[in-house]
Amino acid sequence: MFGSKSNEDKFDEMLGRALRRHSEPVPADFTGRMLRRIEEADEQKVLARVVLQERLALVGSIILGAAAIVVAVFFPGTVTGFFGSIVGSFTEQGGALIGRVPQAVEAFRGEWQFYTVMGAVFGFAVYSLLDLLLGDRLRIT
Amino acid sequence: MADDVWEQQRKDSWLRLLRSGDHQAFAQFIDKYKETVFLCCRGLGLSEDEVEDVASETFLAAYSGLSRYSGRAELSTWLWSIAYRQGINYLRKNRGQWQLEAEPDEQIAGSREQEPAAAAQGRETENIVWEAVERLPRLWAVAVILHYREEKSIADIAKIMQAKENTVKTYLFRAREKLKEILAAAFGEDIDVRK
Repeated sequence: MFGSKSNEDKFDEMLGRALRRHSEPVPADFTGRMLRRIEEADEQKVLARVVLQERLALVGSIILGAAAIVVAVFFPGTVTGFFGSIVGSFTEQGGALIGRVPQAVEAFRGEWQFYTVMGAVFGFAVYSLLDLLLGDRLRIT
Repeated sequence: MADDVWEQQRKDSWLRLLRSGDHQAFAQFIDKYKETVFLCCRGLGLSEDEVEDVASETFLAAYSGLSRYSGRAELSTWLWSIAYRQGINYLRKNRGQWQLEAEPDEQIAGSREQEPAAAAQGRETENIVWEAVERLPRLWAVAVILHYREEKSIADIAKIMQAKENTVKTYLFRAREKLKEILAAAFGEDIDVRK
């Protein structure tokens, strides 16, 4: 029945036409239900982010306290020198302050690993503190 | 020409909205493609409940994957490949023994004996053809739907089904032979003149 070329083509045409006419039933409220699921998924994502930020803030606060104790116990001299130089810098006037910059750079070069770690811990601690105080305004949405 | 440009711009801005996670645009996306996704799942032989589950997972996957959609493939081809993957994963997970290239299960095939020509009379051609397609092995059925209904190229079908082009051609060839056999029994000698 479908042996010849034209019959083959007719069969293909008939198949295509019949399949294009076929409509697959879809539940009426499917789109609405899908949107609700998507909204829920979005909310879950935002919630997961907030929880992560809360945990980071908590960890940051703990680290800040622990770091302060460790530094005070193990590096009292460095801390005294570091804060002394800052206080000194602020109390001295104009040119004297600029004159201390090379000294500060030299001091940083000598113990840059320490200052880098301290900087990171301090930055994280500041972020944690801000997150605790102004959390809602800092949230990533 | 101007219409084409306008249409392209409209499509681009809709895509941008979709990628940005706009829910209104995604609702339009679901409305536009839900039948296609249901059809893919149905072609894979899933039951009514399973179809809805897999279709939902498909749209969720599409929602989270839209930001990565490059636009190189047609949106429908991209969605088909997600739906197909979700359907196949579902079948592999829930019906380990299922053979995708084998005939559909005995229960379905048994309940739809070869349709006598008299019974086919008075029924819509598309229903009879669709039932014949449902009796094909799942991968053949998907290839037939993609080729004849969605008018996808062999290369696109191969991409969607993650198969070689020759494999797709084989599916289509075998499916046609099987469909001729089933439909000839259903329509008798009347098949050529049916519109």
